[in-house]
Amino acid sequence: MDPTTAMYVAQTIHGLAYGMLLFLVASGLTLIFGMMGILNLAHASFFMLSAYFCLSILNWTGNFWLALIVAPLATAFVGILIERFLLRKIRGAGHIGELILTVGLMMIIMESVKFFWGTDTYIINVPPALKGLVNIFGMEYPVYRLFIIGITILILVFMGLILFKTRLGMIVRAGVSDAEMVGAIGINMPLVFMIVFGVGTWMAGVAGVAIAPILSVFPGLADQMGMDAFVVVVVGGFGSLLGAFVSSIFFGLLNSFGIQFIPRLAPVLMVLCMVLVLSFKPMGLFGERE
Amino acid sequence: MITIIRQRGLPVVLIVILLFFPQLFGILHTNMFLSFSIMSMYAVSLNLMLGYTGLLSFGHAMFFGTGAYATSLILTHIEGFPVLLSILTGCLAAVIMAVITAPLLVRVSGTAFAMLTLAFGQLMYVICLKFREITGGEDGLGGFTIPPFLGIDLTDTVNFYYFAMVILLLCLGAMWFFTQTPFGNIIVGIRDNVNRVDYLGFQVHQTKAIVFLISGGFAGIAGSVYALFQNLVSPEGTLGVFVSFNPIVMAVVGGLGSFFGPVVGAGILTILEETVSEFTDRIDLINGIFLIIIILYAPTGIVGLWHKLKEALFKKETAQ
Repeated sequence: MDPTTAMYVAQTIHGLAYGMLLFLVASGLTLIFGMMGILNLAHASFFMLSAYFCLSILNWTGNFWLALIVAPLATAFVGILIERFLLRKIRGAGHIGELILTVGLMMIIMESVKFFWGTDTYIINVPPALKGLVNIFGMEYPVYRLFIIGITILILVFMGLILFKTRLGMIVRAGVSDAEMVGAIGINMPLVFMIVFGVGTWMAGVAGVAIAPILSVFPGLADQMGMDAFVVVVVGGFGSLLGAFVSSIFFGLLNSFGIQFIPRLAPVLMVLCMVLVLSFKPMGLFGERE
Repeated sequence: MITIIRQRGLPVVLIVILLFFPQLFGILHTNMFLSFSIMSMYAVSLNLMLGYTGLLSFGHAMFFGTGAYATSLILTHIEGFPVLLSILTGCLAAVIMAVITAPLLVRVSGTAFAMLTLAFGQLMYVICLKFREITGGEDGLGGFTIPPFLGIDLTDTVNFYYFAMVILLLCLGAMWFFTQTPFGNIIVGIRDNVNRVDYLGFQVHQTKAIVFLISGGFAGIAGSVYALFQNLVSPEGTLGVFVSFNPIVMAVVGGLGSFFGPVVGAGILTILEETVSEFTDRIDLINGIFLIIIILYAPTGIVGLWHKLKEALFKKETAQ
C-alpha cells in the first residue's frame, strides 16, 4: 500500500472510531432529548459520573467487566431518581424549566465529583484481555478501539430492537409524534418517561465506562464530550436514531480528515455544519418531531 | 404617610445609594456592583427576547461577545480612539451580527430556534478561539489602553463606575421605553398568540428581526462595557456557552414576566454567591441546589413570589 492510500485508510478508521465514540455518548441523549423532548444538559454529567463510579469499582475490585455492568446501572439509578423526583415535576413547563434544572444538576454533580474524588486526573488501565494491537489492512490498531466500536454496534442493535420490536418501543415512537395523545389512550406516560430516561442515562453510563480508559477520568470530562453529543443529536434530527448514527459517523470522519488537512478549522467545520443543517432543515437531517 | 414613604422613599434611597455607592461601600464592592450591573443590563436585553417575545435563545453570548471583541479590537489597534465611539462600535458590531443571523433565525421557533442560536453562538466561540492572530485565541485580548473620556481618567474605578452606570442606566431606560411603545405590545402579542398577531396584519418575521437587532444591540453595549471594565476579553468569558445560559438563569430566578425581573435575579445570585463564598468554596453546589429549589417551588421567579406574597397579605387584611 502506498503512503497516500495508507493515510486515507488510517484517517477513515480513526474517523469511524471517533464517530462510534460520539454515537455512544449521543445515543442516550437521542432517546432523552431527541425522542422524549427533555432538554437534558446534564447528560454529559451522567457520563462523567459513570466514569467515576467505574474508577471506584476498579479500586475496590480491580475487575473492569464488573465495572462495565455495575457503574452504568448505578448511573441509571441516579438518573431514575432525578427523573422521578425532579424532572417529572416540571414537565410541560417548556425548555426553560428543564434548562435551569439540568444546569443546577450539572453544578451539583460536578461539585459532588470534586468532593468525593478530588480534582486529580486518574488514568484507567485497559483491561488485560483488550490490550495490544491488531492488524487491519496492514495497519496496527489498538484492540480497545475495536472493542468500543463493537460495544457501539451492540448498543445500536439493542436500541433498534427495543424501539422497533417491542411494545415499549412502539409507545416511545408514538410518543415522539404526539405524547399527549398516547397518554390519552390510557398509557402511563410518566412511567414510560421514567423508563426511557433510565435507559438513556444507562447508555451515558456505558459510554462513560467505555471511554474512561481512553480519555482518563477528570472533572472536565463532561465539558469535553457534552457539546459534541448535543451537536450530533441536533444535526441528526430530533427523534431519529438513524440520524444520530449517521451524523456521528459523519462528524467522526469530518473531524479526522479535518485535522489531517485543515487542522485549525476542524472544530469550526463541525459547528458550521450544525448552523447550515439547522438553517435549512430546522428539525435536523432525519428529524421527525416538530 | 406610609404610602408616600413607599412611593417616594424607595426611589430616593435607591438614587442616593447609586450616587454614593463607591463612597459608601468601598472599591471592592463597587467592582462587584459594576459587574452585577453589566450582567443585569445584559440579562434585561435577553429578556426582551425571552420574556417579552417568548423566544428562548441559547446563543445570546454571540451579541455580548461580539460587542466585547469589537470594542477591544478597535481600542487595541487604533490608539486614542474615543471611548464612547468604541462602545458604539461594539453595539454596531452586535447589530450587524443580528442582521446577518436574523433572516435564518426568524423562520424557526421553539426547540429549533434554541438550537440554531446555540449553533451560531458556538460558531462565534470557535472562530474566536481559532483565529488566533486576530482574537488572541484562548488568552483573548487584554491590556489595551482605555482612553480618557472628556479628560476623565477611566482607569480609576470610581470614575469608571459613574461612566458605566450612566451608560447602563440610559440603556435600561431605553429598553424600558421600548417595552412601553405599541411595538412593545406587538412583541408580547407574538409571545402569547403568534397566529392572531399575524391575522391582525402585523408582520411577524420582520417584528422578530427588529427585536433581535434591539436585543442584540443592547447585549453588544453590555459586552463593550464589560470589555472596558475587565480590560480583558476571552472566548470563555464572553462567548462561552455559560455566558448564554447565565442571563437566562438570572431572568428565571428574578421572574420572566417583569422588566426588572432579570435585575432582581442577577442581584440575588450575586448576593448568594458572595455570602456563600465566605463560608465555603463549593459555591456551585449551593447555586445548583438554589436553582433547583427555585424552578420547583417558585417557577415564576422571585418577582412572581413577591406578587403572590403581596396578594396573600392583602387578602388577609381584607378578611380582618
